[in-house]
Amino acid sequence: MHEMSIAASMLDVVLQAAEQAGATRVEAVEVEVGALKLVVPEVLQVAWEAVRADTLADGAPLKIEEIPAEAECRQCGRHFEPDIAYSFLCPGCNRADVRIVCGNDIVLKSVICEVNGAPSTSAGTEP
Amino acid sequence: MRKINVVESVLQANDALARENRERMTRADLLAVNLMSAPGSGKTTLLEKTLPALAPEHACAVLVGDLQTTRDAERLGNLAAAVTQINTGQGCHLDAAQVAEGLRSLELADVDFLFIENVGNLVCPAAFDLGEHQRVVLLSTPEGDDKVAKYPTLFQLADAILLTKVDLLEVLEYNIGRVRDDLSRINTRAPLIELSSHSGQGLTEWLTWLRDQYAARGNAPGDRSAGTASSRARE
Repeated sequence: MHEMSIAASMLDVVLQAAEQAGATRVEAVEVEVGALKLVVPEVLQVAWEAVRADTLADGAPLKIEEIPAEAECRQCGRHFEPDIAYSFLCPGCNRADVRIVCGNDIVLKSVICEVNGAPSTSAGTEP
Repeated sequence: MRKINVVESVLQANDALARENRERMTRADLLAVNLMSAPGSGKTTLLEKTLPALAPEHACAVLVGDLQTTRDAERLGNLAAAVTQINTGQGCHLDAAQVAEGLRSLELADVDFLFIENVGNLVCPAAFDLGEHQRVVLLSTPEGDDKVAKYPTLFQLADAILLTKVDLLEVLEYNIGRVRDDLSRINTRAPLIELSSHSGQGLTEWLTWLRDQYAARGNAPGDRSAGTASSRARE
C-alpha cells in the first residue's frame, strides 16, 4: 500500500542523480529493497511506472534486488538472518529481542543514463 | 550511456526528518509514544482514559493521524493540553514530515508526554520511523488471537504490546496462550499488558509502564533508525 510513496521518493533521488550527471535521459534504475520494508516488488513496479511518466526516467525499467534482514541480538550480540515471516529468535540465546542491522532500508543502487556526447569516466561512475 | 553508482537511501528524507524529530523531542525533555494498531483496536478510547490519569502531574499533547475527519481530535480535545489532527487523505501511515509539521503546532517545552496516534493499519506504519521514543502496538480481542503471527514485522518492533478489550473475552473464543506463544518467537522484550478501557482492567499497569518510560527518558536504546544506509554510514 505504501509502494506509491516509496516510488515517488525513489524518483526524487533518481532525478537528482541524473541532474547532477547532466543526463538527458534515464535508461534504467537499480534499487535494493530491504525485506522489512514490506514492499511487494510487483506493486513497486506498477507504482514506478506511474511516477516515472513524463519525466527524464519515463520508460526506464526498474531492477529490484531484495535484501534479507539481518538482526543483532540485544541479549548476546549474535548476528543472524531472521525468517521475518515467522521468528526473530536468536539461535544463540533463544530470546527474541533484536536490533535490525540490515534489511530495513530502500537504497537506490545505480542509475544508467544517457549523457550528452560520448560516455566518459569520472569518480563514482563506470563507462 | 553512463552507469552512475548512487548508493543512496530512498528513505533518507523520512529517516533524516525522523532523526530531527527525535532530537527536538529529546531536547524538549518529553517522551514521544507512537501508538499503532488495526483500525478500531481502541487507541483513541485508551487515550481518553490515559490523558486524565496523567494530567495532574504531566502535561500531555496528542498528534492524531487519520485519512479523514477530525473526530478523534474532537474526542480528545479537552483532555490534553494540545491536540492536533493530521489528515493524510489517502496516506495509509503517518510519516516523519507530517509529524514534523505537527510538532510545529506545539509548545514542546511545555509537554511531558506526546502521544502520536498513527493511522489504523497493521502493515505500513512498521516501515516509517516518525522520531518517537517508544513504540506501542495495540491488539484487540475481537481481532482474533492470530494477529501477532500474521503481522510479525510490526509486533517485532514494539516496545510494549497492549491486548485491549479483554472485557470481551468471556464472549469470544480467544486463546491468549497463542498470542504469548507467537510473541515468544517474535518479541520477548515487550511486555504484554492485558487491558480494558471499558472496565479499567490493566490501566494501572499501562500507566506504570508509561511513567517508568518517562522516568527513563533520554536513556532509551539509541538504535531506532538502525539498519538504514545513512545510520550504517554514521556507525
